[in-house]
Amino acid sequence: MISISHLAKKFAVENPKKLSEQEKKDPRLKGRYFHSVKDVSFSCEKGEVLGLLGPNGAGKTTTLRMLSTALKPDGGDIVLEGVNVVSDPLLARKKIGFLSGSTGLYAKLTGRENITYFGQLHGMRPDIIKQKINELADTLDLHSFLDRRCANYSTGMKQRIAIARTVVHEPNVVILDEPTTGLDIMATQTVLNFIRGLKNSGVPVIFSTHHLAEVDELCDRVTVINHGLTEFDDTISAFRDLAPQSMHQAFLHTLKQDV
Amino acid sequence: MWLVFLKEIKELVRDKKTLFFMIALPMIVFPLIIGGVAWFSGKALQEAQTKTLSYSIVGGQLAPEVTQHLDSENGFELVSMPAESNFKEWIKAEKADFVIVIPDNYGANPLETGQIKIQVYLNDANLNMVEDRLNAIVGKIADQNQQFAFDELGLNEAQQQALIHPIVLEKVDIADKRESIGQKIGGFIPYFIFILCLQGAMIPATDLGAGEKERGTLETLLISPIERHKLVLGKFITIGFAGVVSALVTVVSMAVWGIVLSQGMAIELVADFMGSISIIDFILMFLMLVPVVAIFAAVLLSLSIYARTFKEAQGYMTPLVMIVIVPVVLSMLPGVELKGVWAWVPLTNVALAIRELIKGTMDYMQLVAIFGSTAIIAGLLLAFCVYWFNQEKVLFR
Repeated sequence: MISISHLAKKFAVENPKKLSEQEKKDPRLKGRYFHSVKDVSFSCEKGEVLGLLGPNGAGKTTTLRMLSTALKPDGGDIVLEGVNVVSDPLLARKKIGFLSGSTGLYAKLTGRENITYFGQLHGMRPDIIKQKINELADTLDLHSFLDRRCANYSTGMKQRIAIARTVVHEPNVVILDEPTTGLDIMATQTVLNFIRGLKNSGVPVIFSTHHLAEVDELCDRVTVINHGLTEFDDTISAFRDLAPQSMHQAFLHTLKQDV
Repeated sequence: MWLVFLKEIKELVRDKKTLFFMIALPMIVFPLIIGGVAWFSGKALQEAQTKTLSYSIVGGQLAPEVTQHLDSENGFELVSMPAESNFKEWIKAEKADFVIVIPDNYGANPLETGQIKIQVYLNDANLNMVEDRLNAIVGKIADQNQQFAFDELGLNEAQQQALIHPIVLEKVDIADKRESIGQKIGGFIPYFIFILCLQGAMIPATDLGAGEKERGTLETLLISPIERHKLVLGKFITIGFAGVVSALVTVVSMAVWGIVLSQGMAIELVADFMGSISIIDFILMFLMLVPVVAIFAAVLLSLSIYARTFKEAQGYMTPLVMIVIVPVVLSMLPGVELKGVWAWVPLTNVALAIRELIKGTMDYMQLVAIFGSTAIIAGLLLAFCVYWFNQEKVLFR
């Protein structure tokens, strides 16, 4: 399981005068710092899928980057199966599989080589990497393009390779930043099926998305972030109860906005 | 660390564009261009030498020898010019390539005539061999006249020599051949090698930092459980390796092409010269380049990872070429020698040492200062690079 409590992150603003009018109105801007994430807390148990919702610029990606140890939080704690991620990032990295929103592949390498490289970086043995790639190729349907160079992949192919790369070291928690954005229906379905598979094997999954249908289909818990604060953090049924008519209503309700 | 290195090398080798710039360009394209230029200019010279020149002559009747020689010589064509015409207009109108004017005092006995000045009007802005070719003809006549005068005066051989050159300065060079050639080309070679190393390192450096950021692979790499300094070292070694390889490729290809293209005398000189430099000196030159390349690699990697995009990285790196020239130019200044403070100035000291090694006058004690200062700077820059790779504001700009 993974639990996040009172996470906070601020960025220094280089030149406050340069910001646009809208940016200046953001309540998170204080002096020379922009408090991107002020107070975010949630937790995800084994076998649970947590959907992270929030408008653009709410602090979702910053939160997930802190979870993945790419950024160091200014306050708060992340605990993953008893390991403090903030104070021991190197150990935590072996337990986390993270897919960033703007991820890419090495275009000069084949899909298999891309995955192998990250397996090696995780210190895995070659035979185990090979076996794991075969397994993943079956579940994610990679066989047809695994040994071609990534330069000519379609978006869906890239995303599936990227997902395989994320989970090649069998992480204890998987974090996906908008994994279905920009994919076609079939590729989206492959990704969702894969998340379901992770869930069934007891791996907690945290993913951010803008598609409420995916949340409805997969998630056990929902967390809504707005302006760097947790606005909602409960089970999916509690979320649905906010507005029985539709998920969109429920989401807007958490943001305290009317339709 | 080696894992990162191997993967980066694999990517580099598969990148045709990089390979082209690193290997094909110095090995094939540059020699072809230089060879092509040399061939065309040689051909143009040859043409000027053999081209038929049209000329007009004024006062030809005063110097029958000259007119006769010009007539009998191949490649000269007489064009008769109306009297009172303007030479300048005549040549401009392309009626003749040149006009010669024989003075009134023309004669065969220099003792009577004094010095004879034959004027040649021509357009000297274009490539031409008029002067050379005329000198060949007039020179023969002049020699005859000179000999005639000497005979008249009844001078013996030694007196004749003394009269032609009453005092001669004879230069006795105590520097051996290697030292004097070394001084001449030794300043140029480090400049060439430095720039090549920098250029060769630049292409992969852009890719390894900014390229990784632009394609979105950096974030994933950063959160993989590899320690940051190993990641930096892996990339750093790749860049340095590329720099050294591309410099080596260029130098070797220059040597090979030089041997192929040049013939006879010149090649013997080069071979003798190269032979006089010992293997140890070559190895020392190479070893000194290692910390220099390390400095380049660390700076390039720092710039590259700071840049948001490929384009930005290239913008940061281009001025480096100008900056690198400064220490090399310093080393070429008169009075700057490999001792005292200059032995501790990074890059300049290596440039000086390469020159000394080529000349064969190296003071090997200075190697301590050279390796010391260069290695310290390279180490500091590398440490900075690692620090830089740990800064969120650099990685997520």
